[in-house]
Amino acid sequence: MSKPVLKTEKLTKSYMLGKRSIPALSNLNLQVNAGEFVAIMGPSGSGKTTLLNILGCIDKPTSGQVLLDGVDVAALPESELYKIRRNKIGFVFQTFNLLPYLNARENVELPMEGKIKSKSERRRKASELLRMVGLSGREEHRPQKLSAGEQQRVAIARALANDPAIILADEPTGNLDARNKREIVGLLADLNVNQGTTIVMVTHDSHVAAHTERLLFLNDGKITKEKQGLHLAKKKAECS
Amino acid sequence: MGVVTRAVRNISRRKIRALLVIIALGFCMAIMISIPSGVIANQESTEALSQNLSSTITQTEASINQTLTQIECNLSPSMEGFGFAPPDSGSSGFSPSQSGSSSFTPGQFGGGTRPGGFGGGSFSVGGTTPMNESLYSGISSIDGVAAVAPILQVSEGQNQTITAPNGRTFTRLVPDYVIEGVPLTSDLVENYPILPSNITAGRNLQAGDSGVVLLSENNTAFFGVGVGDTVTILDQEFTVIGVHGSSGVSDTTTLYMNLSDAQSLTNNTGYITTLYVFANDSSIVTDVANAISSLHPELTVTTAQQRLAQLQALQSSYKTALENAEASISQTQAIALEEIIVVVAATSLIVLFVMLYTVRERTKEIGTLKAIGFSNWTVMSQFMIEGVLISLIAGVVGIAIATVAAPMLSSLLLPTVNTFGSTFAGRNSISGATSNLATVTVDPQLMLMAFGAAVLLGALGTLYPAWRAAKIRPAEAMKYE
Repeated sequence: MSKPVLKTEKLTKSYMLGKRSIPALSNLNLQVNAGEFVAIMGPSGSGKTTLLNILGCIDKPTSGQVLLDGVDVAALPESELYKIRRNKIGFVFQTFNLLPYLNARENVELPMEGKIKSKSERRRKASELLRMVGLSGREEHRPQKLSAGEQQRVAIARALANDPAIILADEPTGNLDARNKREIVGLLADLNVNQGTTIVMVTHDSHVAAHTERLLFLNDGKITKEKQGLHLAKKKAECS
Repeated sequence: MGVVTRAVRNISRRKIRALLVIIALGFCMAIMISIPSGVIANQESTEALSQNLSSTITQTEASINQTLTQIECNLSPSMEGFGFAPPDSGSSGFSPSQSGSSSFTPGQFGGGTRPGGFGGGSFSVGGTTPMNESLYSGISSIDGVAAVAPILQVSEGQNQTITAPNGRTFTRLVPDYVIEGVPLTSDLVENYPILPSNITAGRNLQAGDSGVVLLSENNTAFFGVGVGDTVTILDQEFTVIGVHGSSGVSDTTTLYMNLSDAQSLTNNTGYITTLYVFANDSSIVTDVANAISSLHPELTVTTAQQRLAQLQALQSSYKTALENAEASISQTQAIALEEIIVVVAATSLIVLFVMLYTVRERTKEIGTLKAIGFSNWTVMSQFMIEGVLISLIAGVVGIAIATVAAPMLSSLLLPTVNTFGSTFAGRNSISGATSNLATVTVDPQLMLMAFGAAVLLGALGTLYPAWRAAKIRPAEAMKYE
């Protein structure tokens, strides 16, 4: 269980502001192993989102390596990157980002389009994923007919659509109330424990972060602190 | 679900906007269809006019050449102003009057009939006022006169009330047919061009014929008879002896019969409308005409030479009309081209701006699609399909609008061609002189072409917005509104 899914070496990202270079990440080394549930915490401007974007292949580092499943994605062109995003990564957004004109099942099917040819197979798998996140019977509902918590469940099902190597969640509970927050983080933890899904989650909510097994604190583009999340470790120990 | 379904759903997301865009584009398409239709209609009517004009010119020249020795004498109503009154007052409907005011009304004579007017270029019998035949016997004694042929021409038809553009109404006779009585003596029939030369069925009238008629092709259709049939004209029966083809515009409705038959049929015994005087030689025609004029100053005497001059003037105005028509075609085409360019540009720009706006509005959505693994190509094709689809629907709407409103649209957008200037207004008896845009029809081929243009312009207008969409960074998905 200690195979690295994600590994960065001397990851550096700086933005140009006029002629000045503003560092966002500097020489960041990070390793996420298969089956881990990692939280990244830090204040605004600490580089959390930049890091997640680079890990998710939607932004490029200024220098350094990003190894996803052993492949250096930092060196890949866009014509290859979209396939990595489709096949290896599942995104969960703070604002859910469901397509309003598609129903729950169609939203979940969306990433499968480039990968699974059979329409019925896509449909079957989408329904199964929706059942897994607790939305059986809600397949035909469009996002506006679903609660915020339900929408985020659909988004999680969509992230799982192509059996990704890793789920990247950007403040997944940021737009939810307390009860839905608990439920969503509980769902992610369940997926991690029961399905072995690898998850990296950015959050600034320490209650939410407490559900993970490893917490990384980011400050000024560097990991300044690392902590074990006891809650999930205990749960995993109970399961095994 | 495929990209097409998604495109349809995207369009239907903003129903009002989609509707407005489709209507706007539909109008552009309708204009694109209507303008060429209008130009085609314009060309067709001008071509018809050109043909009409050329054949008129040819016919005119033919009849001129045939009748160079001919002199036409009419009692013209224009003479009334000179205080002329016929010495005979009889029962003919005009009373003797010494004053300058006219007491003669053409319509009163011969049971509401009116002899045919000047017929647009052919050398036809143009007299409108009846004359007592016996008063003019002296003409045949004039030096140089070879023969005199008295002619009676009476139009039969319905009176119709016509409203002029200025709001005045007047009644005019719309002739169904014109009866022309011709003296059938062997000398005249054999030596002078008093009968039509162009016999298409049966035979021509001969000296001594009576109780028979020579119909025009139009007459056979009007009466529904053929050669050998009996035809009833003004309650009298005649045998159709032959059919003549047109040799001049006014001939198309003229039927020929013995003069005395015509006179008794129309209650005009002793009356004629025209005298054809034939000179011995074309070189003395003018002298003979002058002699007739001095003998009978009340007559309008027209020689072939005079008619030739008239007709040449007329021909030159026809030729001007022809040139005007051709000039107006090229002018119309130039305007049409400009308008088409504007409409094509407008169509592409509408699609361009609408799709750009849509792309902007859906930036986050597009970012999300790319973040979850959509390729640039898929995103681009999604938008292309959407743009083309809108244009296709607009194309259908445009065709629907065009089928209903093409004549209106083309008359709004194209200049109306008036080939005869204002100086010629009212004299123009040739149909199609002004292009009639009400006859604009949209042919299916044009519709198909417009449909193709719709797809092409839709694709063209969407190209840049779709490319912009493809270039949207997936990180846009992370932005919060």
